[in-house]
Amino acid sequence: MISRVADGCFWLGRYLERAESTARLLATTRALALDGELSGMQAWSAVLGVAGEQPFFVARRGKAAQADGELVQHTMTWDRKASTCIACSVAAARENGRSVVEVLSGDVWESVNELYLWLSSEAAEREFVDSRDAFYRRVRDSVQLSLGLMRSTMLQDEPLDYAWLGLLLERASQTARILDVHHHAFSHMPAEQYARETGVWTSLLYAVSGYESYLRAHAGFVEADSVARFLVLDERFPRSVRYSVRAALDRVRSLRPRGQPDLPGAEAEARLAALDEWVCSLDALSPADVHDVLTRVVDETSEVCEAISRELLGYGEQAQPPGTPSSAPPAPTQTSSQSQSQSSQP
Amino acid sequence: MSVGLLEGYTPPAGTYDELLCGTASGAAAPEASARPDYDRIVELIAGCSAAEIERAHVRGSEALRRQGVTFGVYADARGTEKIFPFCPVPRLVSASDFAHMERGLEQRLRALSAFLDDVYGEQRIFTSGVVPAELVLGAKHYMPKLRGIKPAGGVRIHIAGIDLVRAGDGSLRVLEDNLRTPSGVSYVLVNRALTKRTLPALYEEARIRRVDHYPAKLAETLRSVSPVAPEDTTAVVLTPGQYNSAYFEHGFLALRMGMELAHPADLFVDGDIAYVRTTRGPRRVHVIYRRIDDAYLDPEAFDPDSMLGVRGLARAYAAGNVTLANALGNGVADDKAIYAFVPDIIRYYLGEEVVLPQVETYVCLRDDDRRYVLENLESLVVKAVDEAGGYGMLLGPQSTAAQRDEFRRRIEAEPRKYIAQPLVELSTCPTWDPATQRLAPRRVDLRPYVLTGRDGPWVLPGGLTRVALVEGSYVVNSSQGGGSKDTWVERS
Repeated sequence: MISRVADGCFWLGRYLERAESTARLLATTRALALDGELSGMQAWSAVLGVAGEQPFFVARRGKAAQADGELVQHTMTWDRKASTCIACSVAAARENGRSVVEVLSGDVWESVNELYLWLSSEAAEREFVDSRDAFYRRVRDSVQLSLGLMRSTMLQDEPLDYAWLGLLLERASQTARILDVHHHAFSHMPAEQYARETGVWTSLLYAVSGYESYLRAHAGFVEADSVARFLVLDERFPRSVRYSVRAALDRVRSLRPRGQPDLPGAEAEARLAALDEWVCSLDALSPADVHDVLTRVVDETSEVCEAISRELLGYGEQAQPPGTPSSAPPAPTQTSSQSQSQSSQP
Repeated sequence: MSVGLLEGYTPPAGTYDELLCGTASGAAAPEASARPDYDRIVELIAGCSAAEIERAHVRGSEALRRQGVTFGVYADARGTEKIFPFCPVPRLVSASDFAHMERGLEQRLRALSAFLDDVYGEQRIFTSGVVPAELVLGAKHYMPKLRGIKPAGGVRIHIAGIDLVRAGDGSLRVLEDNLRTPSGVSYVLVNRALTKRTLPALYEEARIRRVDHYPAKLAETLRSVSPVAPEDTTAVVLTPGQYNSAYFEHGFLALRMGMELAHPADLFVDGDIAYVRTTRGPRRVHVIYRRIDDAYLDPEAFDPDSMLGVRGLARAYAAGNVTLANALGNGVADDKAIYAFVPDIIRYYLGEEVVLPQVETYVCLRDDDRRYVLENLESLVVKAVDEAGGYGMLLGPQSTAAQRDEFRRRIEAEPRKYIAQPLVELSTCPTWDPATQRLAPRRVDLRPYVLTGRDGPWVLPGGLTRVALVEGSYVVNSSQGGGSKDTWVERS
């Protein structure tokens, strides 16, 4: 497929995942803050930290405003200057979808477009004010509808592989960020506040839609270290780092079938395979290591994305047509999706 | 017939109405009756309730927005994406009218193709005196560099959109030829899908010819003119990009033809061969259905300052390694001044009588014509020969003295650039007016689409009916308050 189109699919997947993830994090943080056991600062600055919007927010609103849940939610939902906010992610997903509409099924495109149109409407603004939970819920449901339609109505080949690759890498990175920021914020709490601690780890599980799965896997016992292990290492949970990395690797391998080593993407595959192997090798995860491990996951994921862009999505020099050793074709010019891809998370 | 929804429907005097007769004098509605060809369907339409039509209108508009059938797109700003308004009441074309149109359009396309071959070949027509050489060679879109180059596959006008209007006397006339990158066919298909969803019972009763095979026909046409065997052909649709006003249509057609949609930067030329950049390396391209004007197609050949385009594409085309649809240089044949000579062109190349008449045209380059035009500006429509979309136009009867003076100056300065025609009383068609919740007479034109592959021309049994939604308006362009209707060609 055309490299630019693959790029559009990749970012469609990433932005959809990001929109859903942000909506979920805002909804769960809101629920957590309602309990009143954490300070507003503890609860909401973590959200900004995960999204990488802290410097922007603090510069604009001041340090203390990070405790203002309403302001943080408003920013992370609507503020077009906060590039990871829900409105931005949905608009970017829709722009990327529109740029590759010829490889999507009509159902997928319409579902993405409908979410965008709804989010641009006064009805959505009203819902945000009147019924916050329903608002977040609708964003998440809409994204899930698009993803479900992708799986059930699209050809299982390259465009879908690229969309899913983008989604899975985004997910690995999101899970790592959410865990890292919360682990840092919560693990220094005094041990006697057991109830509070259980509350925050439960909330963290909700934030990655992992609550029920975790309870099943751990017989209902919620505790910091085992939550961290679960979110990084559990190979059965579809949002764990390990699962996401392995699934992304599978997608890359389906794009580069065995026996065709000359196809572009060798570096992306090698890096991803190395990351997968390393994550698998972490059979235990001590609390002291969590931050380092997660930092490495986030950094490596971003390196893999770079390699994919360079080798597969048309941002690097491309090989010559067969049998023509003449001058290199000009590199593709800047496209709109390229600038979007530069607005990826820090 | 029962009057129903058509109660009080009165077309303006001197205007032909597509569905009703007996109201030409502007007489009151009770005299109105359906044209004999359409009495069955008009009865059905009249029997619909206002609520039914309004619901179809609202649901249709919502569906267009949801599907992203929009134009004029600027990202990230609310309200700048507009839908092309859709009127749920169809425009009808009888089987006999269509047969007549079909014959006339095929004839016109054969003649215009012969004309282009000649202009970029021997130029026999100049020695015959049928068309003044200076008019052709001075046309903005004539490209002297292309002389002697035969396009791969031998066809030049793969896709044509010929604008027809019906004059006050009821005759169908050609108003304009679009032989470069005619747009709008996606609306033909989208409108049909909307009709089937919003007014299924009416559609089912009416017995209408299908239009949804157009993309398959187009794909077949494009492959038939490939420099290699059709089954070995890689064809792509080339769009200027997402911010082009017809971008929706480019993606729509690519999707329905199972072709890739390329942007200029996705293509490159090496050794006079065109390639597309894919995730698995470069792949050769044989046919490009390009929706980019000649001037922006290849900076090397046409406009060195253009940032758009594919460097070297004209060379690959001249070498016969890639087919461009439509071919380069077609603009010389749809120039509005050349239009005046098309009946002569038909007689010259085909030796046939002209099937479809056209609108009387004064070519300002000719002294007599120009004198007449300058003396009668208030009754004529003046058009710049190289502008489209309803721009660069003077509607004499609705103009101010200052506007007429402006055009007088322009015509005297550049007579080659202008033609004039009498105002055609475009026919009206019952059209839903959401403001009054009634059917009102609004003026329409019709753009049928003609595909030409190796086996000659084929006319889609349907077309784009554009409608001037503003009362009394003659301008149907989407950029100027026009809308569209589904066009129903009756089965014979």
